[in-house]
Amino acid sequence: MFRERWVKISAYVLATVFAIIVIIPFLWVLTTALKTPSEISVWPPRFLPSRVTFENFIQILVRENFVRYMLNSLIVSLGSMGFVLLTSSLAGFIFAKYKFPFKNLLFTLLLATAIIPIQVYMIPIFIMVFKANMMNTYLAMIFPMTIMTFGVFFLRQNIMAIPDSLLDAARIDGAKELWIYVRIVLSLSKSALMALGIFAFSEAWANFIWPLVVVTTKNMYTTELGLAVYQRQFYIEYGAISAGAVITIIPMIIVFFILRKNILQGVTTSGMKT
Amino acid sequence: MLSHPASRLARLYSKFRQHNGFWILVALGPVYFLFAVIRIYPILETIRLSFFRYHITKKKNPFIGLRNYERLLSDDAFHAALINTIQFTIMAVLITLFLALLIAILLRSIEPVSPIFEIIFYIPVVTPWVPASVIWKWLYDPMYGLINYAISLFGIPKQGWLQEPNLIIYAIVVVAVWKMLGYYIIVFSVGLKNIPTTYLEAAEVDGASPLERLRYIILPLLRPIILFAVVMSTIQFFNVFAPVYVLTASAQGAPAYDLKVVVTEIYRNGFQYYRMGYAGAQSVVLLVFVMMMITLQFMVFRKEH
Repeated sequence: MFRERWVKISAYVLATVFAIIVIIPFLWVLTTALKTPSEISVWPPRFLPSRVTFENFIQILVRENFVRYMLNSLIVSLGSMGFVLLTSSLAGFIFAKYKFPFKNLLFTLLLATAIIPIQVYMIPIFIMVFKANMMNTYLAMIFPMTIMTFGVFFLRQNIMAIPDSLLDAARIDGAKELWIYVRIVLSLSKSALMALGIFAFSEAWANFIWPLVVVTTKNMYTTELGLAVYQRQFYIEYGAISAGAVITIIPMIIVFFILRKNILQGVTTSGMKT
Repeated sequence: MLSHPASRLARLYSKFRQHNGFWILVALGPVYFLFAVIRIYPILETIRLSFFRYHITKKKNPFIGLRNYERLLSDDAFHAALINTIQFTIMAVLITLFLALLIAILLRSIEPVSPIFEIIFYIPVVTPWVPASVIWKWLYDPMYGLINYAISLFGIPKQGWLQEPNLIIYAIVVVAVWKMLGYYIIVFSVGLKNIPTTYLEAAEVDGASPLERLRYIILPLLRPIILFAVVMSTIQFFNVFAPVYVLTASAQGAPAYDLKVVVTEIYRNGFQYYRMGYAGAQSVVLLVFVMMMITLQFMVFRKEH
């Protein structure tokens, strides 16, 4: 973009400074998680532990039962992901490849609500869940995350790229629409489905306010909820809290590093919301 | 053309079959049923509830007209929450987008290494809000926190970042900027990559300085993306909840100031006191705000095309 020397030099300097600011909190929480309590409460703070201990991880995973919370997070995130992939691919396929009355109206309606966050409309969903006696269940936790407007839009874009001639050839051979959906559309959209799946999984994993309102007992906590509640009650126990933060973040970071190309491209193609 | 009703029906039916009517209904029906149940109905029902006194376990939930809205006008907690949210949003949006734009432009000038930086800046984006806020709570710790240590190197005394009513909002802004910066760097990078290099090279040949090229070529061409980023980030930050929940005071007495924002008020009224009609009215305020932002973007977009 700019070839001037001073621009390049300031680019390196500024980018490096910000990279350090971004990284330090992660390193700090990681080393804190590995420290003994006596090393956490020292002034001036010491960056590296003199003796590495896994006591904090045992405390949080076993005694605070975060193993269970992670399992709950996994169930909710996989459930939400499955629903989102199914509903998005079905609707995306129909909008991409069929003509029918009110098509534009229906699609616009879907997009119009895309940007409205759950904070705005969670009260009636809560009332529904409460009246249906579904409080504190996995289904209730997954329920508002079963469709994703962005997912419909994203898969529609991808499925539109599949040539019509391919679908028509299958129809001439006598294929039913369901068969075309499963065998042609889904199998040709594998990488898009994967990108959307990862995205839906992490959205559900990171969700906080909805589990906070529908979960009533500790054994149904997600890791987000468990961590938020724990750090409020035991705000002194920074070792265990840091260990909790580390285990909540690590799955997301691993997924990000494996699929960083897809994720960064996802942002670029369609302004994927975070 | 007039025809027998039965034959018309038969024609309609064959047309329906010909255009895969059954399949479309079966595939799209359940999706739109879900969409109606978890999006459309809750949005409309939130508006309806705001005209009622509604308690989830009570049999009688009377219609009270605009009384919830009247009460909003005299609710000091909600006023404080609204002002805090607006302050927080303005600061977080301006700082995030300014830094993101600056870094995105600079990164495009060091193209070969920029992917490494983009990946680093994106790590906080994939970190969920709760652990991100937990990390910062520890950094802000008044006794042993790293931030107080950093400022002590410059001779500044320890601060209670989360305990001082005047400081906590800035402390949360820092967390929000740190968390979202990488996302908007990527958004702006896309826009910058789409600017034809010939424009910039031509301006350079004509002797335009980097700042002039920025002012007259890059920023005008980036306008639509900047607008998108302003609308997206404003909506995101206006709905802030998790970092406020983690970093403020709690009933158990974690020592911090009790900063109120709009969504924490909705949470408190709706889910702690079960005043769902009143919380509904507060949600409507949020909804109106979000709709205003969407309309704003739509209007500017229409004007330019």
